[in-house]
Amino acid sequence: MSIAVDSDSIDRYSRQVRFPALGEAGQRKLMASRVTICGCGALGTVLANHLARAGVGFLRIVDRDFIETHNLQRQILFDEDDVADNLPKAEAAARKLRKINSQITVESVVTDIDHTNILDLVSDVDLILDGTDNFETRYLINDAAVKLGKPWIFGGVIGSEGQTMTIRPGVTPCLRCVVEDSPPPGMTPTCETAGVLGPAVATIASFESVEAIKLLSGDIKALNDELIMVDLWNWSFRRLKIAGLLGKVDCPCCQRKNFEWLDGALGSHTTTLCGRNAVQVATRRSDKLDFAQMSIRLSPLGDVRHNAYMLRFATDGHEFTVFPDGRAIIKGTNDIAKARSLYAQFVGN
Amino acid sequence: MPIIRIPTPLRPHTGGNDTVEAQGATVGALLADLGKQYPALHERIFDGTDLRRFVNVYVNNEDIRYLEDLETVVADKDEVSIIPAVAGG
Repeated sequence: MSIAVDSDSIDRYSRQVRFPALGEAGQRKLMASRVTICGCGALGTVLANHLARAGVGFLRIVDRDFIETHNLQRQILFDEDDVADNLPKAEAAARKLRKINSQITVESVVTDIDHTNILDLVSDVDLILDGTDNFETRYLINDAAVKLGKPWIFGGVIGSEGQTMTIRPGVTPCLRCVVEDSPPPGMTPTCETAGVLGPAVATIASFESVEAIKLLSGDIKALNDELIMVDLWNWSFRRLKIAGLLGKVDCPCCQRKNFEWLDGALGSHTTTLCGRNAVQVATRRSDKLDFAQMSIRLSPLGDVRHNAYMLRFATDGHEFTVFPDGRAIIKGTNDIAKARSLYAQFVGN
Repeated sequence: MPIIRIPTPLRPHTGGNDTVEAQGATVGALLADLGKQYPALHERIFDGTDLRRFVNVYVNNEDIRYLEDLETVVADKDEVSIIPAVAGG
């Protein structure tokens, strides 16, 4: 015998409604709220899981990737059947979330977030959540959020360490006030090169989720206005004061309203190389890559060689040829989204 | 002496040390002394005489950009942290 879930019931949320700071009024606000989760990997699956269970009324899950076995270590909404079925992450997540909570609306969007589609993905929601793995998409989210005056929550994780901050345009510093520029490609560790622990991602995504619940339920004064840094392996928890940066930094985004990422002036440019089963990813940066450092990071992951003019790296059926200006030709795919994903994972942007 | 906290990605340049002692009355002087001890590290955090734009420096959890930047005065017990942005997720 199956027992139907009462679709209008608030009872299923009774344990969080009893939490005084939320209460029934806060719960009703959550149920009327709309959220876009950008990226549905390790951060994104934890974000989506928490918010679906908490009863956020509308979730849009956006991701460009398909599920692979090495995702299962930390991407909590997926299982081995999803890998076997070759499902896109956004779609597999949406199916699972609808089973977790049939009272809410879940929309899956399988796409590569870029400057041409971001406004469509976020303009009809109350909050944007960061489940991405790269600064290019985060600066794009930041531009869109500031332009639309919408809050968003940043999260980033490597190894056992993570950072998060809650960004409210005009009230707090934005991402570009705090991180004025992203590290050049190849200079920053990624989850592929430095590894990542599931509990570290889950911790940061949980911080993001609780901030989302505060914000959507209207408890603005309880929000975090600092840059939170956690290292789970070494038991450190730090709260860096960043509020004073607002207006102090000559921020191109939130002060001068010059949306360079949203306008397409910054960010990578990707082209399929016809008939070559390859995609070129070009970044618009002037820094010269440090091939020696990149080789050290990539050597455990595949065959890597470099000279002064290029670095060549082969892994899992893909071959990267990277040039000193950050441009890369990735062989083994014709799919632009896949190539951008591989670039973010192995080169970093 | 004030201590400088070194973030994980930069520890290969300090022989694995997560904190380093350095001498100097300002953040700039401290970081210059750090750079003398570990020249490869200096390259990673400075672009000429300016800090690289993806590296932030905090004195006791305060961002130096709203203090006096590299001229921010540091006392003996102060803790200076180099904080790079974390990309993954």
